[in-house]
Amino acid sequence: LDGKPGISFELIAQAAYDEGRTHLATHLLNHEPRGGKQVPLLLNMEEDELALDKAIASGDDDLVYYVLLHLKGKLPLASFFRMINNRPMASALIESSAREGDMELLKDLYYQDDRPIDGSNVLFSEALNEDELQRKTEKLQLASRLLADSKDATVVLQQKLVLEASQLLKVQDALDKDLADRSEFLGLSLNETVFRLVRAGYGKRAQKIQSEFKMPEKTYWWLRLRALVAKRDWG
Amino acid sequence: MAPISGSDAEYFRDKARRDLLALLEGVRGKKNLVISQDLAGPIGLFVKFSVLQEYGVDRVFLLENANVDSTQRNIIFLVHGEKPHMVRRVAEQIKRLQHNGNVEHEFSVLWVPRRTLVSDKILEEEGIIGDVNIAELPLYFMPLEDDVLSLELEDSFSDLYLHKDPGCIFLAAKALMDIQQRYGYFPRIIGKGDNARRLADLLLRMRKELDAEERSGLTDLPFRGLLPSADTESLIIIDREVDFGSVLLTQLTYEGLIDEMVGIRHNQADIDTSIVGAAAAPQNQGSSSKAPPQPTPKQGLKRKIQLDSSDQLFNQLRDANFAIVGDILNKVARRLESDYESRHTAKTTTELREFVNKLPAFQLEHQSLRIHTNLAEEIMRQTRSDIFRKLLEVQQNNAAGADPTYQHDAIEELIARDIPLKNILRLLCLESCMSGGLRPRDLEHFKKQVIQAYGHQHILTFNALEKMELLQPRSSATAMLLSTGGAQTGTKTNYSFLRKNLQLVIEEVSEKDPEDIAYVYSGFAPLSVRLIQCVLQKPYILSLLRGGGSATATQASSTQASTASPGWLGFEDVVKSARGATFSLVQKGDDKAVRARQTISGNHTAKTVYVFFLGGITFTEIAAMRFIAQQEAGRRRIVLCTTSMINGDRMMEAAIQKGSFAKIAA
Repeated sequence: LDGKPGISFELIAQAAYDEGRTHLATHLLNHEPRGGKQVPLLLNMEEDELALDKAIASGDDDLVYYVLLHLKGKLPLASFFRMINNRPMASALIESSAREGDMELLKDLYYQDDRPIDGSNVLFSEALNEDELQRKTEKLQLASRLLADSKDATVVLQQKLVLEASQLLKVQDALDKDLADRSEFLGLSLNETVFRLVRAGYGKRAQKIQSEFKMPEKTYWWLRLRALVAKRDWG
Repeated sequence: MAPISGSDAEYFRDKARRDLLALLEGVRGKKNLVISQDLAGPIGLFVKFSVLQEYGVDRVFLLENANVDSTQRNIIFLVHGEKPHMVRRVAEQIKRLQHNGNVEHEFSVLWVPRRTLVSDKILEEEGIIGDVNIAELPLYFMPLEDDVLSLELEDSFSDLYLHKDPGCIFLAAKALMDIQQRYGYFPRIIGKGDNARRLADLLLRMRKELDAEERSGLTDLPFRGLLPSADTESLIIIDREVDFGSVLLTQLTYEGLIDEMVGIRHNQADIDTSIVGAAAAPQNQGSSSKAPPQPTPKQGLKRKIQLDSSDQLFNQLRDANFAIVGDILNKVARRLESDYESRHTAKTTTELREFVNKLPAFQLEHQSLRIHTNLAEEIMRQTRSDIFRKLLEVQQNNAAGADPTYQHDAIEELIARDIPLKNILRLLCLESCMSGGLRPRDLEHFKKQVIQAYGHQHILTFNALEKMELLQPRSSATAMLLSTGGAQTGTKTNYSFLRKNLQLVIEEVSEKDPEDIAYVYSGFAPLSVRLIQCVLQKPYILSLLRGGGSATATQASSTQASTASPGWLGFEDVVKSARGATFSLVQKGDDKAVRARQTISGNHTAKTVYVFFLGGITFTEIAAMRFIAQQEAGRRRIVLCTTSMINGDRMMEAAIQKGSFAKIAA
């Protein structure tokens, strides 16, 4: 059949499939150059992986996503993940669409793929969205626990930073309770916290925080300078 | 660039307008229009609100505001159909209106640029697909200028490099197919970068699909048997990730600086009224009323300024290095004054009438002069600040190839002084891109500093930057530079090698009378455009490398060898040390037909070269390309295409985490 123009392989394949000759139909479809026509038929024939591959080859993200939606509904999650796992375009599409609303799916995906940093990032961004301090800290704890087992340098640093975040939140909460001068500390960055403390005249506390979080001298002095100027304290 | 009749921009503008209006006409009676935010601006590029009104559009709403009301029976949604979450949003609003409206609405959805399987599926799941008229509005290229076409996909950068979602490559391919169907196939597709390669492959594939469609005889297509085009020379595709470095630098042309400081979107910029004066200009009314969705009650009064080539003065200024903008403004002011003075010499009635006829033009120019003088002054004020200078110094040293560790003190100081995070990250990414990652110890150090200074939410920001391969430790495998000769293999653009071998740094460039594209960054030539020169202006590059060949000699030799060696020929080795695949494909057609066509049309005149920047283009690069286009004017017409306009800040915004740990204001 090859090299004969004017034949729609899609139609022939459809006919072959209707006759029950699935194998022949798949074979025929390989000659069909139009991706848009191949894929739905392949899905009908339950040639899932082949359909996905053909969709990816077409470069049409709509077609790929369509196949993915279909498969996600049909397969158990684990085998679905396995299928997209070695196809970067497929997993990228799933990841970016899950980010728009299905966080649980993302967590499962990262867990199965053994990507602790990505997994902890999901929890971390959930912590950002939480309203109460208590819940925020819990999420941060979870995020750091995901990272705890690894010895990889970047993971270790990441974990340190996550812990620092929750430590800072605790300190800020205490400040909010102690110094009830209307200033909200919670959620500020470390530098901003120090800056506000100096400007409000709590030099001691600022210094304590500086040493607690090992803030570099130079940064601290710049902050003090700027804060004192803002306060117009020229003494 | 000689504007030939029926230029691409004109064609696309026309086609888009016609398509949209035809669809609006299809819905009888008055209607309310719901537009998604990312389409509202681009639509303004080809159709005015007043025209929409003529076609029965009563009110316009933004999809994102979710405040469509029931004043009209017909409701039309105009939305990008590529993103599932957008589709869901449309579905939600349709259901909302169905439930609490007391009117039986007629819904129509116009998917831009096409109806997708996924959107159908989502509407089906929501159970409303039967109640909706669905049509597609094939909008691909939006004409920004006569020589600039953009898909205006604002998320294309983050999609492509952060989420690795190749959707915009597909759309780009579709858009380019549009051009091919008009003029015939690009005789040659030249490109650099992995995504560029993917785009080229898609183009080849789509051509095959088209052939199949045609041969199967199922559909009757108007464009039978496309041949290699006689009017186009080639398509050059540059992948943004080949050259992240240039985008990270602060742009130093007038338009570039406006973009850096206020931001330009769809040829418009919102500028504080304190700078440009209240919006009294009546001649602007027509164009500025086209973003009608809401009367923009933003904080501080802003005024929309149209920035395109219809403004004569801006046309002169936009591509100039900012250093000479003052001179140009001065010259124009003087000329204008003498023009006004000429009224004294007008004695006879005819002379007077002539003068009065020209008066509106003078006033227009006067107004534009006032705006740009004030704007330039404001920019000047910012460029003179201590912090701007420090930033620029770090950038210039990095670009010139000085040891980046010497800049670290300066960066630390800038962090401590709390300058905007974007600027800090641009510096760090610049260093990472230019020198193959930061030393792990330094990177760790900066990470800590930035996170302490700007908040712990930026743990996520750093992760995103790393994913985009913009900011990496030197030990990482993906941070490695492509080496020349060394045993280990890297993947990244090797700036230090290319700096020498493509003369990226030109010290003595004159900003007043530029002889090289390096003027756009005051001494640094954007690599992306240099690569294009390797295709289009081989003799010039060679003369640069041989060491300052005089300009006249260059001009002479470049005329001889303009078509002799196509593709990357002669520069293969150099280009190899930039990131990603290098390719040059020839699209062949039926030989006889081609020859026949050649004899008909004759081997004459300037052919068009399309240059596609995949993942965004900066205003400096546009300026540099225009500079080249001018030199090539007799031989070639250069048309720039891109997925979107980009600058360093927008790049960083793709990565920066916006949430914070602060209590969410109720």
